[in-house]
Order: sequence, then C-alpha cells, then structure tokens
Amino acid sequence: MNTTMIKVKDVTMRFRMNSDKIMSLKEFITTALRGKLEYQEFTALDHVSFNVKKGETLGLIGRNGAGKSTLLKVISGILKPTEGSVQCYGNIVPMLELGSGFDYDLTGRENIFLNGAILGYSEEFLKGKYQEILDFSELGDFIEAPIRNYSSGMLARLAFSIATVVKPEVLIVDEILSVGDAAFQEKSRKRMLELMGGGTTVLFVSHNTEQIREMCKTVVWLERGRIKMVDKAQEVCNAYATGG
Amino acid sequence: MLREQAQPKIILRRMAVILLTGYWVLVVLFYFLAGEQLHLRKSRGNIDLLPAESGTVELAVGNVVEQRFTTTIHRLEQIDVQWGTYYRQNIGTVFVELWNVSQNSIIASQTYDAAAIQEGGVTTLTTEEPLEDLYGVPLMLRIYADSSLGNAVSPLMNQSTPAEEGSILFLNGTPVAGTLCFSVSGEDYIWTGLHYWEFAVTGFGLLVLLLVVIWYRCKKGKRSYILNAVIAVQKYRFLIRQLVSRDFKTKYKRSVLGILWSFLNPLLTMCVQYFVFSTIFKNDIPHYTVYLLIGVVVFNFFTESCGMALGAIVGNASLITKVYVPKYIYPLTRVMSSVVNLAISILPLILVSFITGVHFHKSAILAVYFLCCAIIFSLGLGLFLSTAMVFFRDVQFLWGVLNMVWMYATPIFYPETILPDNFRFILQINPLYHFLKNARICILNGISPEPIVYIQCMLIALVTLVIGAVVFQKGQDKFVLYL
Repeated sequence: MNTTMIKVKDVTMRFRMNSDKIMSLKEFITTALRGKLEYQEFTALDHVSFNVKKGETLGLIGRNGAGKSTLLKVISGILKPTEGSVQCYGNIVPMLELGSGFDYDLTGRENIFLNGAILGYSEEFLKGKYQEILDFSELGDFIEAPIRNYSSGMLARLAFSIATVVKPEVLIVDEILSVGDAAFQEKSRKRMLELMGGGTTVLFVSHNTEQIREMCKTVVWLERGRIKMVDKAQEVCNAYATGG
Repeated sequence: MLREQAQPKIILRRMAVILLTGYWVLVVLFYFLAGEQLHLRKSRGNIDLLPAESGTVELAVGNVVEQRFTTTIHRLEQIDVQWGTYYRQNIGTVFVELWNVSQNSIIASQTYDAAAIQEGGVTTLTTEEPLEDLYGVPLMLRIYADSSLGNAVSPLMNQSTPAEEGSILFLNGTPVAGTLCFSVSGEDYIWTGLHYWEFAVTGFGLLVLLLVVIWYRCKKGKRSYILNAVIAVQKYRFLIRQLVSRDFKTKYKRSVLGILWSFLNPLLTMCVQYFVFSTIFKNDIPHYTVYLLIGVVVFNFFTESCGMALGAIVGNASLITKVYVPKYIYPLTRVMSSVVNLAISILPLILVSFITGVHFHKSAILAVYFLCCAIIFSLGLGLFLSTAMVFFRDVQFLWGVLNMVWMYATPIFYPETILPDNFRFILQINPLYHFLKNARICILNGISPEPIVYIQCMLIALVTLVIGAVVFQKGQDKFVLYL
C-alpha cells in the first residue's frame, strides 16, 4: 500500500495572456511585424510538488482561481506543464466535468458507449456493465430516448453512473458530488466511499469542507498557484476555515 | 477493463503476419489488374505529325518520295502519312513501304486507294504484330503510286521545322530540305514493369528487415514509432469506431431520408452539372455522366473530409479540455466518417455506369488505389487545417475560398483539354487532378496508368500526410491554451 501512484514534481504552469487576444492571422502578422507581440504571463501553478500514495484520498482546497482545476488537468494529461513533470502509475479516470463528450442527438444507450469509449473503457467491459450502469442511473425506459430530452438531473445521473462503473487505479474528481436529488446524492456518496475503500487513489476537489473532512485523509491547500499547506484533513480544514 | 496495455510482442506478431500476407496479396492482385500497362507504355520516341506546309511531288508513275528516319520506339505499331489531293478526285493505288535501310529489306507495306484519300487526310500503316528490334535502326518510308499526272495525290511536307538527326527527305532520289508529314507511334517496354517480380521481392525483403528491426528494438525494450502507432490504434480502436458511428448517426439523425442522402447527394449534384455542362456548355467527353460523377464523388469527399477535419479540434473543445485522448483521433475520425460516405457514394457511380453502358474492366478496381491516395492526402491536409484552425480562426473562411478555387482548378466537369497551355501547370501542381485523372483512366478507359504514376500519387499523398502530422504534432500541446 505504500507505493506512490502520482508524483507531482516541481510543476509550474504558465499561461500567456495576450493583452488583447489575437485570433486573426492578419492581426498576428501586423503586430508581430511591429514588434508589439506582448504577452502577460500568468502563473497558475508555481513549483507545486507532492506525492500521492496508493489507496490514498487526497483533497484539494483553495479559493476560486487558486489553480485546483489546472492542477487536475495537468495530472490527467490534458495540459502539459511549462516546467516540472507529473508521473502517474496506473489508469486515470478524470471526472473533471460530467458528461463531457455526450452527444445530445444520440440516445442514452448510445451515449453510454460513446462516453465510455472516451473515458477509455473497452467494448466488452461496457457491454457487461451496461445493465449495472442503467440500474444505477435509474433512467429506465428513458435510456432509449435522445438525451436532448433529458432533464439536467437525469443527465448528471447518467454521467455519474458511467464514470463510476469502473474501478480505476486513479480517480480524479472535480466537484461532482452535488448531483441529482437528495437520494441520488446519498447513493453517489456511497459509491465514492466504496471506490475509495477498494484501493482506488482519489484526487478530490471540493469547496465543501465538510465533504473533505469526511472523505480525505490528506489535504493540499492551494493559494495563488502555491501550496500553502499540506497536512491531515482536520488541520488543513480548520486552518482554511479560519484563514480562508 | 480499462484500455489494457496490450502485449507488444503479440501485436507485433499479428502485424507481421498481416503485413506480409497482405503485401503478397496486393502485389499479385496488382500484377493481374494492371495487365499489359505494367510492361508497356506509349512510347516516348513517337514521332509526331508536323504541320503541313506544302506538297512534295505529284505522285504519278515514276515519282517516288522517300523519308529516312530513325526511332527509339521499342515496339513500332503504326505509321501515318498526311496527304494533299489538289482538291480534286484522284484515281490509282498508292503504295507505302517501310524499309530497313541497313538490311535493305521491306519490313511492312500497305496499299491505299487514291480515290479514298481526302485533302489533309492521313493513311495509316499498321503492322500485324508490333515491330521490335527497330530501336535506333535507320529506316525508310518509301511512297509511290500508279496514278497518272493530273489524277495523282501528293504527300505533304513541312519545311520550316529543322529536320531531326537521321531524317532526310528524298524526292525522286534527290535530298531536299524539309520533312515529310508523317507520324510514327508504338510502345516502349517499361523497365520497372519487366522487373516487376524482382522489385516485389526486394520490397518484401525491406519489409522483413523493417519488422526484424522493430522486433529487435522491442526486445531491447526500446519503443519504435511504428509499433507505438499500431499499439495506439489497437488501444483506441473502440473509441475511433464510436466516434465515427457518432458522426454518421448524428449527420442524418433528424432527416427523413437519412442515409439515403449519402446516395442521393452525388447523384443530384451530377444531374445539375450534367444539365448545365451538356446542354449549355457543350463538350464531347465520352461517357460524360460517369466522367462527371467520378469527379463529383472524389471532390465531394475531399471537400467534406477537409471541412470536417478543419473543425475537428475546435468543435471538440469541450472534450479536449476535459478528457485526455490523443488529439489526432479527432481529425482522423472525421476523415474516416467521410470515407464511409465515400464508400456509399460509390454505389450510385456503379449504378450510373451500368445504366449508361460503361463496361467495367478489371482495371476499374485499381481506381480504389487512387481513392486511397486521395484519402491519405485529405487526412494530411485535414491534420494541417485542424491545427491552423486552432490558432487562427480565419482559416475557416480562407478555406472556403480556397476550396472554391480548388474546385475550378480541378477538371471535375470540364475536359482538361480546354485549359490553354500556359495554364496547364495548374493541373500539374494539383494533386487532386492526378488522383482524379488516373481514377478515370482506370474506370473509363479500362486500362491501368503507367506504373510510375502509382508511385508518384502515393508519394504526393504520403508527403502531405507527413507534413500534416508533423505540424499537428508540434502544435498539439498548445491546443488547450487556445481553445
């Protein structure tokens, strides 16, 4: 249980912010020729390092714009860090936003396969788990209807069911537990705990310190792209509640 | 469960088997489909007819016209002579003989009725079997007749063009300046075609060598680009299939005729263009409907796949910023769904061919090769466009214009001959023209183009793909920042 699953080493992420965003070729060339290509650098992450061990649930807290989402994107491979490196040992299922990749003209069933494929599940696996996904989402006959007719709660339930059907080695979660009605929220919370109990390494972002306290062992507090504090969940949460 | 890291060695073994057997199947298939055109092509040593300027002598009894010449044709098949009639009805018999000067023997001869010769018309001397072994041999065309003066025809000659080496015109035994208006044509052997099986074996050897190198690298734990690509395709096969079927399902989702549109679209386009270009602008292309339809199908595919690939990255922004998937998958799947459409639109092509009476020869299958070239080319261009689109949204508008220019620069509905000579280079630098022209040769003429054309077309396509892939590779890490 002591093997490191995620190694975040000295990660710096800088964005170039054009003073006014150049999106046209003509403007780009004319400004470049005049030598006025100016960038404002914005550092979203500043030399962040930490390790996550196997089976551990790491919470990430911080105010809006502190760099939490950027960090998750760097770890899941969507963004490439400007400096430093991230090493990940094992399959990652990123749940940064539920239902990304849903096609609203397709039926729920078709979307299960499409979304599953995007998340990296194999065909046999999806076929085998199809019933389980359907049952968990409580969609019933609606599964054959195009999802543009779904309510937002139904969409979220479907997405959550697809995302959590697998037991990934690393699960990256960005505020998704506020899904559906109270009953479904309770159900999804249980599913998360079940996953964590099953040896899955979880990276967890939330603004809800109650949830963090309950679910995480260690918590990283980010502020303005730097790590302000890494410690046991209780201590960081207490400090965050008073200082943040 | 999740995408498993498949065993590279198993993949490699499977890849080797597929590659090696597939290679031989293709090699043998090509050998049979290409037929004669694999060995023979229109000779480069053909002598063309010079513009007629004046008559030689009136070909009455006792007058004789002799034209000495040499050719570099491997298999001589046909000699034409152009005639003047003094604009009157002539009588008598005209004799045309082909002599081998060094052996002083007649190789071929033919007689013609002088009455049947028209002013400016040509008589054709064809040989039963193509004449071989005449390469560089001094030859002579000897022409005489049994007509009487006043009723005789006269072969025409050209005086302004300097005579080529070895070419001398004798009128009644006296050499004169000028050249007879005659043409010689035949076929040449193609060196590569004659050595086809040697090339095939060499290619096989190279393939085996490549596999051995990959195997060796794999064993030592190093990864090679090719193996990585194959593994990636294996790994993301399911996703690619899902995305392609998604594109396809959503395209016709809410339309009544659905998939039938893939079938109808090229037919309707063809009908409109057929009406416009066969009634308003006349042309004399044989099998014009099929000629047009091939153009429409290929160009429609090109437009659709590039247009779709163009928006592949920008259009999937919500996915790219949320989930990690190799980004080349998006333009690739877009092009692949266009390929499905292309395959469907081939059906009306076959249908129309049957209705209009175009007979399919075995060479028609070779057209698939040129379609593949067009697909690879579109993929390369699509990768490039999708990258460019991320950084400059102007590309979509620019592409709209460029696409229109491209359409007019490709002979889809007009015959390539209507372009004046000084604009012909436009066709030469247009890859689509080459794919299209050769696909048409395969289907309409029922013969295969020269072997070298296959290599040229594949090279054009692969170079485009490599350029597109490199540009894409360089840009892809920055995509997220610009979406």
